[in-house]
Amino acid sequence: MTVVKHDYKGEAAAIGFTLQRKAGNDQTSPLSGLLSFRWVLVAFVLILWFVYYPIIDNFIVSTKNQDIFTGETAFVGLDNYRRLQSDPIVWTAILNNTLYAVISIVFQVFGAFVLAALIEGLDNERWRRFWRAVYFIPSAISITVTGLLFYFIYQPDIGLLDSFLTQIGLGNWSRAWLGEEHTAIYAIIAMSQWQGFGYSTLLFGIAIQKIPRELYDAAIMDGAGTWRRLWNITMPLTREMTGLMVIVTITGAFQVFNEVMVMTAGGPNNSSQVLGTWLYQQGFIENDFGYGAAVATVIFVITLLTGFAQLWYTRKRRVHL
Amino acid sequence: MKSTTFLSTTSLASFMAAGLIAGSANVALAKDPVVADPDAKVEYSGTLSILTKFGLQQLSPFFVDAAKEYEKLHPGVKVELIQESDDSVKGKTKALVASNSLPDIYFSWTGSWGENFVRGNRAVDLSKVIGPDTAWGKQLAGAAVSAFQYNGKLYGIPLYLDAKFMGYSKPLFEKAGVSEPKTFDELLTACAALRKSGVTPISFGNKEGWPAVHYAGQLLSYNVPQATLEKDFTPATADYSDPGYVLSLTQFKQLIDECSDGSGTNGSSYASALQQFSNAKSAMYYQEIIEFDQSTADGALKRDDFGYFKLPAPKDAKGDVKSIEGAPEGYMINAASKNIPLAIDFMKFVTSADNGKVLSAPPYGQPSATVGGYSADTMNPAVVGGLKVIADSSYLMPWLDTANPPRVAAAWLSGLQALIGGSQTPEQVMEQVKKAAASSK
Repeated sequence: MTVVKHDYKGEAAAIGFTLQRKAGNDQTSPLSGLLSFRWVLVAFVLILWFVYYPIIDNFIVSTKNQDIFTGETAFVGLDNYRRLQSDPIVWTAILNNTLYAVISIVFQVFGAFVLAALIEGLDNERWRRFWRAVYFIPSAISITVTGLLFYFIYQPDIGLLDSFLTQIGLGNWSRAWLGEEHTAIYAIIAMSQWQGFGYSTLLFGIAIQKIPRELYDAAIMDGAGTWRRLWNITMPLTREMTGLMVIVTITGAFQVFNEVMVMTAGGPNNSSQVLGTWLYQQGFIENDFGYGAAVATVIFVITLLTGFAQLWYTRKRRVHL
Repeated sequence: MKSTTFLSTTSLASFMAAGLIAGSANVALAKDPVVADPDAKVEYSGTLSILTKFGLQQLSPFFVDAAKEYEKLHPGVKVELIQESDDSVKGKTKALVASNSLPDIYFSWTGSWGENFVRGNRAVDLSKVIGPDTAWGKQLAGAAVSAFQYNGKLYGIPLYLDAKFMGYSKPLFEKAGVSEPKTFDELLTACAALRKSGVTPISFGNKEGWPAVHYAGQLLSYNVPQATLEKDFTPATADYSDPGYVLSLTQFKQLIDECSDGSGTNGSSYASALQQFSNAKSAMYYQEIIEFDQSTADGALKRDDFGYFKLPAPKDAKGDVKSIEGAPEGYMINAASKNIPLAIDFMKFVTSADNGKVLSAPPYGQPSATVGGYSADTMNPAVVGGLKVIADSSYLMPWLDTANPPRVAAAWLSGLQALIGGSQTPEQVMEQVKKAAASSK
């Protein structure tokens, strides 16, 4: 096992995407390069139109104040970005998104990794399949449906959670989970963990399955115990998946919208606002599309930086057998 | 998955949606006002699109049936319906405005909501076809038509009348030994007796924020003089300094704490609270007249057991104690529609006396704004009685969240949730509203 710098040329050749080269000449001719470009032209135009144009346009919108009803616009420069700094709800939203990310990393990355290792460690294939299915089923339910389901679970007094707490003698713990400012966001995050946990477990399971059994057999012969094998074999060889999951989880946490909208719509008193719902509130409730676009830019910058971090991490730490 | 692919598919593409939303706000400048011509010939051909607020299961058949009937009368016309719920119609309408895709006919509230369309020249001036001297105008309740009046011109077609009442269960009141309260203090006393009898006095769900605004609105109309309210609804003159505001919020907080589940109500929806009332788990529910039939539709509460009263006014209130919170709701014609005469013709059909009777009777129970558009024989007696109360009221207090500019409305919504939850005092809520009003000038 070695840690090596990734060879992209070799990988590209392996999947048959090298450019045609003239015999005895290592340089690609301008004509063949142009001909190759036509294959990606349609996709390139579509990406320009549907991805890059909206990003640029969004920034332009964020420098204006617009009245969507009259169509009147006024250029305000970076005023909407200055307003962001003094908007306490933006900071609440960033804090909530960050909480979402941190808690999701704990459960959906590290927790899911441990669970996947336990499931894949089972000897009986039937049981492995069973537990994979059990944990994956919540991920197959739409997030909107899950949001509604948990809305009923969290209902004060008559909801399943409060009824359960009362049944086990913890009635004084029961509360309006979604109706109190200090519990609403945690209740939503908890629902999200229930929903996403199985999916992460499944992905880690696939990564663990790819590890050759011989490594474990050799380690057992060397006298390595369960924890030693997990620490010295499973963890290093799933590092790439772990890195990917961390980034996907962080990015997802800053794009969260549906579950918050369904369960609290950002309330009570804006306590469960996240950047996505605050963007919606500004644009579609308060008619302030310029400011909403500035919030969108913040989401973009955060997810872009996270994407770069993922690029850097996976290039640096890729492990090859 | 390749890392480069990941970057482009998550970081950029995920933001694409947000970019598209904001990017779509590149709206064209509004054109000149469009005035409806009473002599225009109606071409019975083409497609007519309509955005309604009747997306709920029990209401949606009304427009479906009306569209089918109209298509049968005029085979060259196809009616396309976009049916939304009370909550979703707000976002949908703004998305359609931002993308210049408003349908030919669209739902509108009165107040600042409707004023937005007028300001942007997106609504047809209907004065010449719906004014008091016109045939159509004479068929509709004059007060309802004039609720859509802006700058002296008429822009809306009222479909039904609406107002807020406290619905109650007669058997639960009887069991607790209470009668209809006549004052605010009597209501609080009744709550104590009802709670003692083992029921929640008032079921209240405020997840959406606007249910609290409805209580507050009625109390404001009792405690703040009408002229002051109207001055404060106008961004240029708003200052929200009348002491009646803080007093109203204090009374509202007391009502929620003593009569409902208090701070927990922020976690329940308006619909859940209605269900609780229908299932006889609570004795009262503050509701719109258009919801009377839903309260007794399929729950334990029977129609004969349903009673109603106007939210009682506090003693020595400085505002108008004969007022009631409510407003007609209706439709506007898109100024950019290619077939304005046809759109007007369709709405004349929808607001006919016959269709009005269908709309006013169960299962819809939406009291028609058409003169002669309801028959007491086919309607829920409570709706008939409620209409009389509306007619006798001295002032229709508009919904706070549609009367105010969006930023002020948002301050009311979040502020009242904070008041219920105990994180803000009435004074702090009003400071928040004042700040929002100042930034909306």
